[in-house]
Order: sequence, then C-alpha cells, then structure tokens
Amino acid sequence: MGIFTLALGDLRERKARSALTMLGVAVGIAAIVALMSIGFGLKYSVTSQLTEMADTIMVMPGRFTQGRGYVMLGGFNERDLHDVKRISGVREAAAMFSAVKDVEHRRERKLFEVVGIDPKETHAVFGKIVKEEEGRGLRESDHKTCVVGHSIAKDLFVHEIGVNDRIKIAGRTFRVVGILEKQGGFRSEVDTQIYITKRDAKEIIGDEISMIFVRVRNIEDAERIADEIEERIDENHKIEDFTQALTMGSFIRQLEELFKILQAVLLAIASISLIVASIGIMNTMLMSVMERTHEIGVMKAIGARNRDILTIFVLESGIISVIGGILGMLIGVIGANVISVGLGSAFGIEIPAILHAEVLLGGLAVAVITGVLSGVYPAMKAARMSPVEAVRYE
Amino acid sequence: MSAEEIVRLEGVTKVYHMGKVEVQALRGVNLSVKRGEFIAILGPSGSGKSTLLNMMGCLDKPTSGKVFIEGTDTSRLNDNELAALRREKIGFVFQQFNLIHTLNALENVALPMLFAGIRRTERMKRASELLQKVGLSHRVYHKPMELSGGEQQRVAIARALANNPEIIVADEPTGNVDTDAGNVIMGIFERLNSEERRTIILVTHDFDIAARAHRKLRMTDGALL
Repeated sequence: MGIFTLALGDLRERKARSALTMLGVAVGIAAIVALMSIGFGLKYSVTSQLTEMADTIMVMPGRFTQGRGYVMLGGFNERDLHDVKRISGVREAAAMFSAVKDVEHRRERKLFEVVGIDPKETHAVFGKIVKEEEGRGLRESDHKTCVVGHSIAKDLFVHEIGVNDRIKIAGRTFRVVGILEKQGGFRSEVDTQIYITKRDAKEIIGDEISMIFVRVRNIEDAERIADEIEERIDENHKIEDFTQALTMGSFIRQLEELFKILQAVLLAIASISLIVASIGIMNTMLMSVMERTHEIGVMKAIGARNRDILTIFVLESGIISVIGGILGMLIGVIGANVISVGLGSAFGIEIPAILHAEVLLGGLAVAVITGVLSGVYPAMKAARMSPVEAVRYE
Repeated sequence: MSAEEIVRLEGVTKVYHMGKVEVQALRGVNLSVKRGEFIAILGPSGSGKSTLLNMMGCLDKPTSGKVFIEGTDTSRLNDNELAALRREKIGFVFQQFNLIHTLNALENVALPMLFAGIRRTERMKRASELLQKVGLSHRVYHKPMELSGGEQQRVAIARALANNPEIIVADEPTGNVDTDAGNVIMGIFERLNSEERRTIILVTHDFDIAARAHRKLRMTDGALL
C-alpha cells in the first residue's frame, strides 16, 4: 500500500461518480482527437492533390478586379509561349486553347469546354496524375481525335462514350482515342473537358492561347519565375497587368493558412467540452474532499503532512484524468473513423481520419494537466484543513 | 523543566466561537506529565477534557498559554513540524476508532509509517508485528467494517504505535465497545505502560476505567480540579 493505492481506493469507493467524471474527461479528449483527425484528413484530401502540382504556374491573360471577379483580356500568342519557355528555371510550358463548344453524341447535344493542347506538351499540363483510363493519349500525328474527361464519357450523356466512338465537336466529327481517369476534388474540371490536338484546335477554337501551363525545375523559384513571366508577356503586349501568373505554391500556402484557422476553430470547439470536463473533475474532487473531511482529519492526526494530503487528492484527480484521457483517445480514434466513413458515404467525399501521434499524446497530456489543475484547488482545500476540526466533522 | 517531564501545559485556554456564542472550553489549565505516567482525565461531557487531550496531542492550538512536548514549545512550530511531532512522538486513539475504511487492518496500521517515509517492506513487517501484539494476527486483511468494535479499537491502538511514540493519547477509547472488549483494551494500555514505559493519557467519564490509571485528574467547566 502506498499513496497511490490510497487514492485508488477512494476512487473505487465511489465507482459510479468516478466513472462518470472519467467519462466527462473522455468525451472532451475524444472530441479533440476526433475533430483534429478529421481536420487533418480534410487538409490532406485537399492539399495532397495540389502538392503534386506544387511546381505549376498557371499563366492567364486577364486580371482579378474588384467586384467583377476575373476578367479575361484576350489571349496569348506563340511568341509569348516561346518567351516563357526561355525563362531560366522553366522546365516545360504548354499552351492551352480552350472554348466552350457544342458536343454531339448519338444525337444528344451538350456544351462542354474543349481544350486544345500540343501532344508533345501533354505532360506539362497533366503531370503524372491525370492518366487515361481507357485507350491512349493524343499523338502528334493524330487528326480529328479527342480524349474525353471521365464524367462526359460515363455520366453526362444518356449513352456512354467508349474508345473509338465518333462524336461531333462544333459540327466536325472526332474519333475518341482515350478516356481519362476520374479526377474529382480540385481537378474535377478535367472530368468535364474534351482534349484535342493543338492543330485541330486552331481550326475550331482559333489561334489565341487561353492559358499557359508552366512547370518549374525548383519550387522555390516559382514566385520569381511567375514575376518574370508576367513582366515578359506584359512587355510583349505593351499592356500593364495583362498577365496573371499564379503559382500553385502560393495557392497551397493560402489554403494551408485557411486550414490552420479551421483547425484552431475545431480545437476551440473541442476545448469547450474539455472545460466542462475540468469543471466536472473539480466538482467531483470538491465533493470527495468534503465527504472525506473526517478522514483527512484522522490522517493528519496520525501524522500526515499537508503535502501528503495534497498528493493523495491530486493523484486521485490525476488517475481520473489519465484513465479518462486514455478512454478519450480510444473513443476519439473510433469516432474519427466513424465520421470519416459517414462523410464519405453521405457526401461522397473521401476524408480520411488522420491520427497524428502528437494529437493523441497531446490529448492525453491535456487531460492530465486539466485533471491535475482541477484537482489542485480541492486538494489544497483538503490539505489546509485544521486537523481538530476535520476530525470532529462527521 | 525536569528531564522526566514529557508534557507540560502552562495557562492553556481555548475559546470556541459557535456562531455568535463564545464557548470557554479551557480556562487556564496547568499540567505536568512525567515520562511513563498513566493518567486518566475524568469529567462529564462538555467539561473540556477532549479539548485538553487535543492540546496535548498537538491536534489543536490553544487560544492562549503554551504546550510543551519534551521541552519543545509547540506554539513555535509550523504545520509540518506539528505533523512530524504527531507522527513521531504521539499516538492517537479515538473513541470512534477512526480507521480508514477503504484500507484493511494491516494497511491502516502501516499508514503512519507511510507518512513517515518508511520503506514498504518494513512498513508491512512492522504493521503485522503490531497487529500480533494486539492479538489480531488472524484479522490482518480484514476491512474495518468486517471487524467488531473492540477489534477495530485494537487496530487503532496498533496504528497509534506504528512510529513507536512515547506518548499515547486516548479519547474515550472504551466508549464505543462492550465491557469485555473494554477490559482487553485497557489491558493493552496497561501493558504498554508497564512493560514499554510509554506515557498514557486517557480521557474517560467511566470511573472504573479511570481507576486503572496511576493518576486521576478531574475536569469541570474547562478547568482541572
């Protein structure tokens, strides 16, 4: 028997109350663990797609204006593309010609964005993440062929589009050579686009380049290269602020800032339950101290120091919070996974529950700190009791 | 103060405030107890005898006057030093036994040694020896609720002896047990006094119990006669 057994014995005496207090702590910690895990999962599911594109700069003609949003200002030309390719640090650059066109499949007509790209430059646009699910990609030697986004092929027409089917784009017949994998998330626009060769695009879309996709060698240089691109093209066209070069890196950083705020909000919400739990501990401990006033007096009479009494009660709330904390971690892990599966099936978004060891250990640490701090006041009250009055208390 | 004097009270008074009413529990008590004495303090309830005992046991502080234990002026001691004094020099026996009911007999007896920082194995060894001494070696692992009143009081006596104190203060130790059990308990006190030369100060309102002490003091209205 030691001080520990003494504290544990008291908890066992009041099983129901101890268990309920522990549950209070557990709920608080579970809320923190679950919400944080889901927060991390949300961040991951959004940024993982983007991180793969961190070396990308999207160059668009136009500018963001107040009130009217993004305003297109004409297009780029081949000289602009040529100049961009020559900027040091640029690995590859691809021009995209895009326009919304009328698409017909088995007499069903719909409007879709048609994008022309140079088959040599496909990699610059798609990188490693956009692949064909069926068929193949565009080739330089192709004439009147197209690659279709997943949703167009599978969902948007009554009849599914397959490889080698013929569809009409702006009245001209194209052969489907490939169907892209489903992208979803931040690249979902790819799912509703049709890709054709640059040569074919000149015919049905025109000569103006709608966007230049740039891949840089070093992500660290992206901002500098973006500035240089804007300068170079603006100079070509003699228009100030004509070009917008957006680095994916800055976009990701903005998103990450946003997620930090989201995490903080989630943490704040979860903390409320922890505050309630801490009040619960303090309440339980105050009741325990009051009920055991007589016992405290007896212990003092037989030689317990104030410190011994303090230790017993702090240890007691410590035990409550450690057990509550561990329980909370378990409930939190289960809860996070339940929420993840629930969100997945309810909204069709894949949000994994990401459990960081720091969150788990942090949760436990917070539980213990809360427990001990909430126990200190009641324990000090117990420790400072006058022995004779405590003994006399019945 | 002679070397033989172990407890001395000088003009000890105690005033309680019960709401607005002032209660004079002790009115200037002077007392000297010699090492190895067996003293009974007799008096009706409310006479202040328990208060007096609490003063000698360093549980309570006088409103005025001084309490010396082995020559040390206890009014100069802080809470920790008083706790140390209670732990090392004084063994308490209460009328209500006051055992910790979540602990078994052995653990109860070992408790003062825990506070004294004695190692576990030694605590348990000495606690079981003490229980044997009060004739309870067959009840070591019983919780207080599973013991009779007399047995509980013997556990309490064993606990009082845990840190080998020279002074045993007992507040109506036989007040809650039957006559036979009371006799056993008094027998233990007598042995502790005669064989181990421990100083025993007990409070009682029972003349038969008091008759077994060497010196009897009478108390009424907060004063010794």
